[in-house]
Amino acid sequence: MIFFAILLVLVFLAQIIELFIPPLEWMYNAHIYIVPIIVFYGAMALPFPLMLALSFFAGLLLDALTMQPIGTRVEIALGWSILVYAVLASIMHGLRPLFIRGRWEIHCIMSGVCTSLILLAQYLMITFRRGSILFTPEAWWQIGGPGVIAMIMAPLMFWVLHSIGDATGNPFLPERESY
Amino acid sequence: MNRSSTVALLIFVAILGYFLSFGAESTRKLQAGFYQLVSPFLTTGSGLEKQITAMRTGLKSLEELERDNADLRVENRSLKATNHALRDVEREVNRLRLALNYRERDVFKLVPAEILTRDASTWWRTVTINRGKRDGIQGDMAVVTDAGLVGKTTTVSDSISVVLLVSDENCRVAASVEGTREQGIVAGERVAGALTPFLDLNFLSKQANLQPGQKAYTSGVGGVFPSGLLIGTVKEYRVRELDSQARLLPAVDLSKLEDVFVVTGRK
Repeated sequence: MIFFAILLVLVFLAQIIELFIPPLEWMYNAHIYIVPIIVFYGAMALPFPLMLALSFFAGLLLDALTMQPIGTRVEIALGWSILVYAVLASIMHGLRPLFIRGRWEIHCIMSGVCTSLILLAQYLMITFRRGSILFTPEAWWQIGGPGVIAMIMAPLMFWVLHSIGDATGNPFLPERESY
Repeated sequence: MNRSSTVALLIFVAILGYFLSFGAESTRKLQAGFYQLVSPFLTTGSGLEKQITAMRTGLKSLEELERDNADLRVENRSLKATNHALRDVEREVNRLRLALNYRERDVFKLVPAEILTRDASTWWRTVTINRGKRDGIQGDMAVVTDAGLVGKTTTVSDSISVVLLVSDENCRVAASVEGTREQGIVAGERVAGALTPFLDLNFLSKQANLQPGQKAYTSGVGGVFPSGLLIGTVKEYRVRELDSQARLLPAVDLSKLEDVFVVTGRK
């Protein structure tokens, strides 16, 4: 439970930090996302109910701090990010046996893929609401770029989170040490 | 799936269903609550960001500061003098307008604000400012700088407001073009690849024939944006099948915003 509480605090802080990280102009304004990496690590290192609670918290924060209701219209209803996080985290949770056996590479790659999937889901929803389907190279960069960055950041973040889990005696960590 | 997981899933679905039923107004209220909750973090973060930027750009020597101060004093005196002269002109214009049975032209009431965060998400162009309900800010108020239009307020908490930038596709502004009778709607791009994106001025007549450099101003139609605010200058113009479209360069450099003013009413 201590580790779960720490993950909640980290998700909150990461969400605030994300607001101050400027988009990368050389990557067509792609943003850097830290929260998904923490949530997807939690999906592997926590039991199912706590994984759902973590996804709920991260999704709610994302919706509350970034979604834009315009006039009387809501492009992405409050709660959609919670659902997307929960579905993707469940997939990561399904890959937990690999993590328990100490195979972390697949989860690093999956963290990147799932980060991009969150953005793709958001983009599809706003595209559906706004009418015309536009898939420009810039749009692909803004969907794929954060995923690539997440993949690069994931090993280091996983190592840090794993160390915190170890230090707090999280009982759901891999049986065999591999980090 | 064991019993605890099933119970957790059921609770999760119930709460999710509750949130998904929220309308725009409830969403805005909840967002305002969250922004109020995180406002100390945003204010501290913004302060730190400014300090880091100041350190990166280097500290100025006392001599440089004195020189800057002297320049600013001169500029201040000159602006005061211009302001006095313009006030006389304003009085005269209003007197003449009155004589011609026109309504008096009012001056805007402005609330200064600092930018806390910018571009919080990938798909919406927004900034947050350090002013909220306590300062008289409400939703759908125009936000400007001395250079021109910035956007409008959307979610407003007690001490923080979210501003939807004019470069967002959802921020539609009724515009008129200087030197013509052309009227159109300005909107941003859905996905912008540059920090300073272009704006599209749509629904112009096919005969508009705009030239690069012509300025587009708010026309005041719609009630959110007062008339006469500079939106941008024409960069390109093209005729389409049914109408024509101009591409505008925003008057305000939206990637380097530091301070803005919220138009809270008229004096």
